[in-house]
Amino acid sequence: MAGIKALISLSFGGAIGLMFLMLGCALPVYDKYWPLFLLFFYILAPIPYCISRRVGDDTDSASNACKELALFLTTGIVVSAFGLPIVFARAEVIAWGACALVLTGNAVIFATILGFFLVFGSNDDFSWQQW
Amino acid sequence: MAGFLDNVRLPECECIDWGERRNAVASIVAGVLFFTGWWIMIDAAVTYPTQVEMNHAFHTCGVFSTLAFFMINAVSNGQVRGDTYGEGCFGRTGARLWLFIGFMMMFGSLIASIWILFGGFVVPKKDVYPGLAVFFQNALIFFSTLIYKFGRTEDLWA
Repeated sequence: MAGIKALISLSFGGAIGLMFLMLGCALPVYDKYWPLFLLFFYILAPIPYCISRRVGDDTDSASNACKELALFLTTGIVVSAFGLPIVFARAEVIAWGACALVLTGNAVIFATILGFFLVFGSNDDFSWQQW
Repeated sequence: MAGFLDNVRLPECECIDWGERRNAVASIVAGVLFFTGWWIMIDAAVTYPTQVEMNHAFHTCGVFSTLAFFMINAVSNGQVRGDTYGEGCFGRTGARLWLFIGFMMMFGSLIASIWILFGGFVVPKKDVYPGLAVFFQNALIFFSTLIYKFGRTEDLWA
């Protein structure tokens, strides 16, 4: 176990990121809940990489293509999570201030997810029984 | 005079170890380019929603580019060279034909987007942003395809 401290700081990071997202929605001056659609992207983001970890490693050559496709899709989900608030703000569905708060929350949450994979994901035989 | 720049060398970038991570970096860069292209188009569709400002048929270019991306990246370079195990349905010739059609669709969409930009927006002197969006979508998808296809190595026994 890579440490309780890492776990706590990652969960703190996640809470701060979600806080920024909720601030962007719930502050009385904004009061538009459209950015909550980003939660969908936050949940989807780790999935391709997790699938490639489970499905891959059958043969050394084939697993790479799966991992690369997973990286491609994950990058796409991250870009989409940054693009959606910007498109919302340009369409004047939300205010630009709300967009800025939501983008900050995005950055923190994706840094948290990345940190989670770096800290907890890097053991060679990644088996679910560990948990 | 002919070779006076021969001894000029840019500082070597030693910080990044390209060897192990080349495929991952190529995949990430390709992903950023591809999805940025699509979001530029989504943004244009949202900010110019009427048929007059941006003809909805212009989305076709992006769709064909995306289809071409998946066609081109569905065949590995090994299959085109002919050094994989199974024959598959059509073998090496089929792989080459598939790749050929994929690249034709990709180039066709790119050319069409340039045509749309100039013929549909620059010449009639309309607000040019939707035309630029169509062009950038297809150009970014094109570069993303190239990077995803040729930026990754397939060294099987590395």
